[in-house]
Amino acid sequence: MLKKHLTKFHLWRIEMRELELYFGPQHPGMVGNFSITLKVEGDRILEAIPNPGYLHRGFEKLMELRNWIQNFPFVCRINVIEPDSMEAVYAMAVEKLANIQIPERAKYIRTIVLELGRLASHLFGAWAYANMLGFDTPAQWAMADRDHILDLFEELTGGRVYHIYILPGGVRRDLPDGFEEKVMHFLHGLASKLPDYNETFFENRIFYERAKDIGKIKKEEAIEWAATGQVLRATGVKHDIRKIEPYFAYDKVEFDIPTRADGDAYSRILVIRDEMLESAKIIMQCIEKMPEGKVYERTPNPFKWKIPEGETYVRVESSRGELGLYLVSNGGNTPYRVHFKTPSFNHGLFILPKLLKGASIADVGNIMISLYVVAPEIDR
Amino acid sequence: MDEELKRKIEKIYKDTEVEFPERNRMVVKTKKASILSILEFLKREGFRQLKAISCVDWIKECEFELIYHLAPLNSPLHIMVKIRIERKNAETETILKIFENAKVYEREIHELFGVKFKGNPDLSPLFLENWHDLPPFRKDFDTRKYVKKTFDEIPSVEDRNERT
Amino acid sequence: MDRKNILKWLKEPGKMGHKYSLWAVYFCTGCGIIEVPPTITSQWDAERFGVIPVATPRQANLFMITGYVSVKTLKAIIRTYEQMPEPKYTVAFGSCPINGGMYWDSYNTIKHIDKYIPIDGWIAGCMPRPEAIFIGVTKLWMMIDKGAATGYIRYRKNYKFYRRNQEKLFGKLPWPPLYPVDEKENKNG
Repeated sequence: MLKKHLTKFHLWRIEMRELELYFGPQHPGMVGNFSITLKVEGDRILEAIPNPGYLHRGFEKLMELRNWIQNFPFVCRINVIEPDSMEAVYAMAVEKLANIQIPERAKYIRTIVLELGRLASHLFGAWAYANMLGFDTPAQWAMADRDHILDLFEELTGGRVYHIYILPGGVRRDLPDGFEEKVMHFLHGLASKLPDYNETFFENRIFYERAKDIGKIKKEEAIEWAATGQVLRATGVKHDIRKIEPYFAYDKVEFDIPTRADGDAYSRILVIRDEMLESAKIIMQCIEKMPEGKVYERTPNPFKWKIPEGETYVRVESSRGELGLYLVSNGGNTPYRVHFKTPSFNHGLFILPKLLKGASIADVGNIMISLYVVAPEIDR
Repeated sequence: MDEELKRKIEKIYKDTEVEFPERNRMVVKTKKASILSILEFLKREGFRQLKAISCVDWIKECEFELIYHLAPLNSPLHIMVKIRIERKNAETETILKIFENAKVYEREIHELFGVKFKGNPDLSPLFLENWHDLPPFRKDFDTRKYVKKTFDEIPSVEDRNERT
Repeated sequence: MDRKNILKWLKEPGKMGHKYSLWAVYFCTGCGIIEVPPTITSQWDAERFGVIPVATPRQANLFMITGYVSVKTLKAIIRTYEQMPEPKYTVAFGSCPINGGMYWDSYNTIKHIDKYIPIDGWIAGCMPRPEAIFIGVTKLWMMIDKGAATGYIRYRKNYKFYRRNQEKLFGKLPWPPLYPVDEKENKNG
């Protein structure tokens, strides 16, 4: 009896079995409704198969059934973390097809809103990352700071999360009294907290050990795999749509493109931190340079609005990379075809499995959040 | 640079039209047969990133249009290479050999439009489970009718008005 | 602890324990999840109400269905719900689980979540604000007090109808029934 047990034990020890492990959607290490099927041997991942579709709503189909203005509540829900860039890209495409020029002041306000949205998104990302790795204090701070931005948005637009503030022809309404001071106050507050964030999170030795050399991408690979955003910038490529093809007021403000050379998770999070500082710089310059004037160019009655035949591809730099929209109109009052090129689609479905190969199970969430994969953006 | 590229493309590929619909955008309309070589040529010219593949269902002309979005680094030019394929038995060559990340885009288009990509090893469904209807993004798929047929037929278990 | 409730505590300690420790499953079913991190962190601090997220459904007794539910997610929701120990409470969060919301004509989202699993409370809005979550939680307390939050009992009682609806949508389910399903009885639901 004992001998039988011993042989069994022995066999079990020498034979490493390949197992299939379901990671998500209900998993504490998973951010968002997304799942990955891992083939593991011991702790090492042999293969990772992302399994999206838990959030698929068929937006692009539904938008074909609604008129141009009705689609605004839709586009912002594609990406819950940063809805403003979605609104902006759709508004830009509609403006281009309908040939609408927006007032100068609206451009500045849009820039401020987009950058505030980027800050909120990066703080959310910092929360997710810190929370994932067990740094609870900076996680709480980041979420509380994000809430201040949501309060600002609430004052400006009436909504905490979804704003529907950017419309074709400009923005919905002008800045309320004293809004600029509140934004400045918030930015100064955030900047004064930066040393604390550095100490507890970004330059924390434990965090460094945890994120360094994890999910490493080489520069050539990043270009070949069509990475954008921080994933590309963390490998040392200076690539930013805001510089390449400036939209709104980005050509009138000065800012840098932060880069790092290593291409690992730690570099990506440092790029995110530096980007937050650049965002603050942009907002301050916009507030300083903002001209007076109207903020909204009248557009036709939305129920009768027909947009001339045509197609366009517009792109903005969202907080996770290049966000593009391919919009086709056939002259009707609804879009003929809408296709969003979202950064997470490529990062989450193509780059993530490549990085997970050979990593350990404990690093799945680590790599996934450092790539900044947002599940609803993949599924649409 | 843009004009030069246009001349080059039109010189090599005879049945190809090159247009500049707006600033920094270039549209290359080509035939299904020459898509692989034209993408390879553009990749050598510096358009190293495949940004996306879009598909449009032109139901009146009975055709699908596939749009390959390419962009280089550090140049604002964005190229859309277009081909048209038959709507019936839609099938085209995969571009996996040139752009590796086309894998997921082709898989998505296969699922949502039903276009087959010859040579792509993994065309399994990406988003939907147990889907037996038409591919949902086709123009002749009526989503409202489908909703009525599928979800509204299922009876409620409890009376909603009964409990408050 | 409320001093007025001390008698209640002595009478029904188990119930009061459930009421003041609603541990929520950490399952991001839809876009409503974006309001949950602010709610559980320092700004709004849901722990005042005893609501904390836990890692596995085995430890949880509150299931917040945050936002729209796609067909694929519903399968995961049912499995998660059936894993939770009793008593368990479900709260549908946002307008999409109530009647489909803005996705009323989407081919891949569920229109009425209560056709597939029982729901104790609804929080309307898109997104519901953190205050709305707290109001919902306090309402759930009142329901537990009155014994009206009986979702899990109804699930057991009407299991065959719920299972029938689930099978209508998914085809044959790959997992065995949670409660015995008597095939002979006819439907009346």
